[in-house]
Amino acid sequence: MASQQTRRRSVTKTHERIAQLGWDRDYHQPVPIYDTRYVFPEKAKDPMKQIMREYLPMQLEKDERVYGGFDAALRAGMPTKADERWLQVMKPLILILVFAEGAAGRCMSVVMDVVPNDELLNGYHVQFVDEVRHIGMQMNLARWYTKHTPDPAGWHKGQEYMADNLITRAGINMFSHSFVGDPIAAGFTMMTVIETAFTNVAFVALPDVATRNGDFIQATTYSSVQSDEARHISNGYATMLTVLQKEENIPLIQHDLQQAWWVVHAWVDPFVGSVMEYFSTDRSDNENYITKWDRWIRDDWYRSYVEQLGKMGVTIPPDMFDRARERLVAGLVHKTAPLAFATWPLNFWKFDPLTETDFEWFEDKYPGWYDEYGATWEAYGALADPAEGAILLSGFMEGAPPFCWTCMLACVIDDDMCHRTCCDRHGVERTRFYCSPECRWLDETNPGRYTGDRNYFDKYHGMALSEVIVKLGLLRADGKTLVGQPHLRTDKMWTIDHIRDCDFTVLSPNITSAEAMGLPSGSWHDDGDPFGAVQGDGNGFQPVTLYGGGVGQAGDGRVRVDDLARAAVGDTPWVKL
Amino acid sequence: MAGEVRAGERRQRRGDDPERSFQWIVPKGRKASLYEDLTVDTQPSVHRFMTSGYTCSFPDGRGTWWEDSTALDVETWSAFRDPNELWERPYYQQGAQGEREIEGAVRSARSEALYADMDPAWVEFLRRDGQVQAFVEHGVWSLATRRSRAALADTLTHGIVLYAAVKQRQAQALVIEGMDLDEDLGGFPIEAAKARWLEAPEWQPTRRLVERLGTITDWGEVIVVCGLVVEPLLGNLVRRELLLRGAHRAADPVTPAVIRVAQREGDWWRDFAAAFTRFAVADPTHGDANRALVARWLADWEPETAAAIDALEGVFAGAPGVDFATAQERVRADYEALLAESGLDTAVST
Repeated sequence: MASQQTRRRSVTKTHERIAQLGWDRDYHQPVPIYDTRYVFPEKAKDPMKQIMREYLPMQLEKDERVYGGFDAALRAGMPTKADERWLQVMKPLILILVFAEGAAGRCMSVVMDVVPNDELLNGYHVQFVDEVRHIGMQMNLARWYTKHTPDPAGWHKGQEYMADNLITRAGINMFSHSFVGDPIAAGFTMMTVIETAFTNVAFVALPDVATRNGDFIQATTYSSVQSDEARHISNGYATMLTVLQKEENIPLIQHDLQQAWWVVHAWVDPFVGSVMEYFSTDRSDNENYITKWDRWIRDDWYRSYVEQLGKMGVTIPPDMFDRARERLVAGLVHKTAPLAFATWPLNFWKFDPLTETDFEWFEDKYPGWYDEYGATWEAYGALADPAEGAILLSGFMEGAPPFCWTCMLACVIDDDMCHRTCCDRHGVERTRFYCSPECRWLDETNPGRYTGDRNYFDKYHGMALSEVIVKLGLLRADGKTLVGQPHLRTDKMWTIDHIRDCDFTVLSPNITSAEAMGLPSGSWHDDGDPFGAVQGDGNGFQPVTLYGGGVGQAGDGRVRVDDLARAAVGDTPWVKL
Repeated sequence: MAGEVRAGERRQRRGDDPERSFQWIVPKGRKASLYEDLTVDTQPSVHRFMTSGYTCSFPDGRGTWWEDSTALDVETWSAFRDPNELWERPYYQQGAQGEREIEGAVRSARSEALYADMDPAWVEFLRRDGQVQAFVEHGVWSLATRRSRAALADTLTHGIVLYAAVKQRQAQALVIEGMDLDEDLGGFPIEAAKARWLEAPEWQPTRRLVERLGTITDWGEVIVVCGLVVEPLLGNLVRRELLLRGAHRAADPVTPAVIRVAQREGDWWRDFAAAFTRFAVADPTHGDANRALVARWLADWEPETAAAIDALEGVFAGAPGVDFATAQERVRADYEALLAESGLDTAVST
């Protein structure tokens, strides 16, 4: 019988041949639709050497295992065995990660539009196809949860809710950095920071928590996703090595990598940290989020990757990295989580109160945790029953911190919070709050980037909470029970009538904070705009402060590429804290 | 939109639990398909649920997505559906199956000594021009993948990305076939094919056309031009009329497998592009303007594509058993049929 296998071709030789498919254009040059400040060397190296003849069966095999896992999970009764607290938080988590996968794919398209090196293009495109795979698998996972888990409410309008939700739209904002703006900066955001640093937390550490909570189908899916990430990390490294060949890129790399780091940290750490620690019922894990972070982010990424770039001339001061960790130690996750729980009526999943077992775990992992946060959680649990006639949000809102203009999450670290004032197109001064000087720096140095009606509560300022809930469509099929609930019980569910009885009026913390501080209006909402956004927000027209002083050297208030490059060289601190 | 009937509403009427389906989807049929569940609205926009506008914009004022990324306009981009409903799993199933077929052909050619039966004149033709089409596929791939991000709905982005993926696979399959022939028969260096691509007068109008494709900045134009003009005229002429039919006559045991797989993928893209064009020209509000624009695109690209295929007569002349005039007639007839299928008046395009 004839051999069932063809002789194995050399991957290197095959790739060398395929690499010949690029050519220098003579008749027409490609026209990019995105602009980059980077310059590119003649040569680059593709470390992946991905060939479709090997790639397609490999991915199919991985797909078959994942989809087989879905069937196995059903037969094993996983929907009713997995912990429901955990299953609830899969609603925002899976859907924002689907957006992230789409962002990663689109990142490849923008990068390919400006990178002229044929050697790299093959790897980028294979990544885009990977991301289509990840979207398909994760939407299948969402569909599986919808059809089989005990309480599907929230999944049923998931994409609709996700795009307009207080927490997940901040994630949309963050992931959009990876396919909007300078393609290389976008590439660093996705490939170098999100994929190289944070997928280990999101796609390795998080599935571990899932498994501990009886959800092995989440782990099956994301482990398969993560098996592709190694190639995506290689794409990021190849991009870095390519642009590093040109000395004039180095200030831009230093600048962009730090901005990418910060904006990803600002959303991923409080979000993933909260999911991991506040939605796990299983408390067998000896590691807390910071321990995992130290392993995956500090040791495997910062020390093994970013610090090593110094040998290639890229100097990344440790300040922003250290600052991120300091914020975690200062309670970034623990200060964000209660606020998220307090907003349960505005969300599309259930928030289970913490128990004594949870308190013990937190106290063990974060000594002093109970003294600082325990009372809040006790109150949250006590008010879970609608018979109490009160919601925690009413106690929170008056003193709630404003939301950050840049990362769109609450400014929970008091010492870090800062603000500035900008004029709108009518010359009216308004106040922007920031969770940190770094977020302010991002806004100041990226004119025109941050748009839309950003402060979540501005447009609801003065409205009854019940009215907001109805407006957002956050009611179940019976038309009265809320989708979000402050507990997992099937009885004592909150209805819109309970909320009406609370007679609670929504206030925007951005508006109330500005008023309390005697600052110009904190509102950036305009009812006259189709999207509620104050247009001509002044960010491109008013003097923009760079590192505590100076405006763009053209003198028109705009900061341009050469301004950034000028500010990025020498010993100038990256952020004047 | 007014008048929309969402999947969940139908389920509710039947007494099903409406919370066990994705209610945000407006299905094309009576119920949402698996493809729709997995694809539709994975790319939220200001038209689909992002009520507060885009949070991230380009320095030049473009939002996360921007409406004039195509000059076409429709009422609801998210209503577009790939008629073949391709999503990742069937893509990998079909792609892997195609590669298995090709590998099987190679294995059989070697184990049964079928290469020895090939018409020597065909072998010489393959040495000269067999791999050159890979540069065409590669050039189209490069354009499609760069334009996919700007498309205004997920069903469009995914389609363009998968089109790019099949182009990349097709280009690589031709190169790998050259490698295999090199090993068995010798004299198939890719460098020689590249030299033909860069220098042979017969191929220069095609190269000029492919390079010009790289100047398209409008993703809608990419679908229309690649789907309705370049693939049916140039792609089918080279792949089907030259490589497939020529190979069959010359007892070539592998090229037919390579091209059959490519043509199957081409059928999917043909349907996609035709459906997209019908979708645009049938739009109740913008259909007439879209029809005029598509006609302008066809008028802009068809002559250069026709000139490119005219110049390939010399390439055909080197291949035994193929008739250029007949081949041209066939692709022309297919082209006219495709335009009609796409809802276009063929008169406007010629």
